[in-house]
Amino acid sequence: MHPALYVSQTGLSAQDTKLTTISNNLANVGTIGFKRDDAVFQDLLYQIKRDPGALSSQDSQLPSGLQLGTGVRVVGTTKQFSQGSMQMTERPLDLAIEGRGLLQIALPDGTTAYTRDGQFQVDSDGQIVTANGHLLEPAITIPEGISQLTIGSDGVVSGTQAGEPDLQQLGQIDLVDFINPQGLKAIGNNLFRETEASGDPITGTPGLDGMGSLNQGMLETSNVEVVTELVNMITTQRAYEMNSKVVSTADQMLQFISQNL
Amino acid sequence: MDKALYIAMTGAKQNMFAQRAHSNNLANVNTTGFKEDFAQARSMPVYGEHFPTRAYSMTERPGTSFEQGPLQETGNNLDIALKGDGWIAVESPSGEEAYTRAGDLQIDVNGMLRTGAGMPVLGEGGPIALPPASSVEIGSDGTISILPLGAGVGLAQVDRIRLVNPDPKDLEKGDDGLIRLKDGALAAEVDDSVQVESGFLEGSNVNSVASLTEILSLSRQYELQVKLMSQADQNSEASARLLQFS
Repeated sequence: MHPALYVSQTGLSAQDTKLTTISNNLANVGTIGFKRDDAVFQDLLYQIKRDPGALSSQDSQLPSGLQLGTGVRVVGTTKQFSQGSMQMTERPLDLAIEGRGLLQIALPDGTTAYTRDGQFQVDSDGQIVTANGHLLEPAITIPEGISQLTIGSDGVVSGTQAGEPDLQQLGQIDLVDFINPQGLKAIGNNLFRETEASGDPITGTPGLDGMGSLNQGMLETSNVEVVTELVNMITTQRAYEMNSKVVSTADQMLQFISQNL
Repeated sequence: MDKALYIAMTGAKQNMFAQRAHSNNLANVNTTGFKEDFAQARSMPVYGEHFPTRAYSMTERPGTSFEQGPLQETGNNLDIALKGDGWIAVESPSGEEAYTRAGDLQIDVNGMLRTGAGMPVLGEGGPIALPPASSVEIGSDGTISILPLGAGVGLAQVDRIRLVNPDPKDLEKGDDGLIRLKDGALAAEVDDSVQVESGFLEGSNVNSVASLTEILSLSRQYELQVKLMSQADQNSEASARLLQFS
């Protein structure tokens, strides 16, 4: 059959994958702590039909050969860990990380996941939990009757008990960093898991040793840029159309030969 | 049988090869740093002891267009594009030096700087490995400076990306899509005039309109060859009819 059919088919499926990442980015444009994905394309292997320098007669040779490409593939998607913009909420349990680092979340199965989404709440036991009810790690319990909860930029959580003048220290929020954050595996619910590629977590105090600092009463919005995504969507759509045009052209060629011979 | 049939057949067959080269260009119209391949046809006379009327057609790839692709802003510090001529040196899977213009760099778990396709980027002394850093900056001459984790202020220079600019006529595209020096070409030297723009990526240099037009024109050319083939068929049918006993 016509090889161009298969080559354009790789083009079509790659553009399809790209559109999926773009639509996922756009769908999460309002998700707190979301990091956008970029699809990485690479050309596929080239097939050598004829090497340059082949002899065309006993004493002459061809100056160039024929190497045909076999299309394109998506190598993978990379998460872009650039900073999203800050949004003021004034809620005492909203946290935004400015700079590197991720918050640790204890999952029910005993493992630890990581997030940049700092929308925390207090459960019935007074523990700080995410919107899904997973515990913040290290666990911090807020006793009853605490007013004026303060979370410092270094992660110290403190508050004052009603009727007592002294500030009471309740706990310390630590951040973790990875040598290759792009290697983290997104598992949904705004959570990431460490992988072989991300390396081991490096725990640190917010604001120290290159770790980002915490901002209370703020949230980090998604780092998706709508204009960029829409422009990418246009180029992806047009590239898709052109590849499908090649498919229909190749189809017409095959149709023409089978009808005319 | 009329030999014109075979000549038309090679024409149609080689048209399909050229078609494939162009469709590969179009499939890579969104691939970072992709360089468009040319396709051309050559007439190939048949040598031998006979009347020299036959010349078959032959499609070949005479080279790759090294024209610069459009620069796209990404805002990512580790995305680099080259302004003007030049190449980023990477280590190919077989261990030798190869070149690319796809500058979507990443840092892996061991601190190695790699392209989006996973090739280690070469520096002044082999593949570049970066210590843990809170930020990485790439200067206009390929110098990499980092802000080490926990070091407070002050950028430290670690390495410099090996940027080269060999004569384009010494370069060819390998079967893995990386650019390599041709056999017998002089080893490439570091070229200080190659300019890096950080925060940008170079798009594919495929001209989609030209490629699509080329594909359409090739498809018409192909129909012409097929028409000739059916013509040759009709000719021999007519002569067969003349010779038939009826």
